[in-house]
Amino acid sequence: MKINCEHHQDCMQLIQKILDGEASVDEKEAFFANKDLCMPCQKGYELELSLKANLKSKCQLSCPEQIISKIRSKLFLLLILISILIPLFC
Amino acid sequence: MNFTNKFMLMEVEVKDKIYSLGNAKGVFENEFMPHMDAMYNFALKLTADEDDAQDLVQDTCLKAYRFINSFEPGTYAKAWLFRILKNNFINDYRKKSRGPSKVEFEWVEQSISGEDEAAEPAYFADLQAETVNDMLGDEITAALQSLPVDFRMIIILCDLEEFSYEEMAKILDIPIGTVRSRLHRARAVLKTKLVNYAKTKGYN
Repeated sequence: MKINCEHHQDCMQLIQKILDGEASVDEKEAFFANKDLCMPCQKGYELELSLKANLKSKCQLSCPEQIISKIRSKLFLLLILISILIPLFC
Repeated sequence: MNFTNKFMLMEVEVKDKIYSLGNAKGVFENEFMPHMDAMYNFALKLTADEDDAQDLVQDTCLKAYRFINSFEPGTYAKAWLFRILKNNFINDYRKKSRGPSKVEFEWVEQSISGEDEAAEPAYFADLQAETVNDMLGDEITAALQSLPVDFRMIIILCDLEEFSYEEMAKILDIPIGTVRSRLHRARAVLKTKLVNYAKTKGYN
């Protein structure tokens, strides 16, 4: 297995493209055919994969119910206001 | 016909589309409400303040309702809402806080011009997948939160919300090439922050 990758910048960009779902089939095939032969690419792939997964799973929050209720009440008031105003101008 | 039904059947006409008030409410509930968690999460990461995030989400929803006639049902509501939220943040909330620092501008400008390609360390040997897996949510959130807002924004859109590059380009009003380079640079800075974080916290 290679311990240095002479194309590491390009490989890292390709890895991100693959994980973002933006790479073509050919690009994916080319990368996965070589990944296990190159340590920096293998490590880079694992790192990017774990970063993406951890960001998704550990940085998500739910919207507090009180905001949703506030928005619904404001919209309801808005609807009432419109329903009162429309007949005045029609 | 009771009062509620009467106003639900009234029509609002904007541009060339007509929604009854009832339909508009239906579109809002069915298309927009499912994205409240994502919108709140985005708002909180942008403002870094719970009260501001709540106000930002509320303003975004009211604005979305106001301009509901420019929304095409069946198109991607989440991207439409995120675009409104981002514009709202830039126009109203970002002005309230301090402007971006010179360093933030430099980072972002470099990424836009693509001059930063050589700036990324060639190999993050100090940061392993296992280290990231061992980190707590608070630590990863803190690293994300410490990024300049344009970098934070693009990482949230891509990694948390899984928008495509094309959708991100539309939300952020930037060319797709800039999406790629900004994302690449943002991730490099995030990794540098995580390496430093891992060292100070004593991770292997």
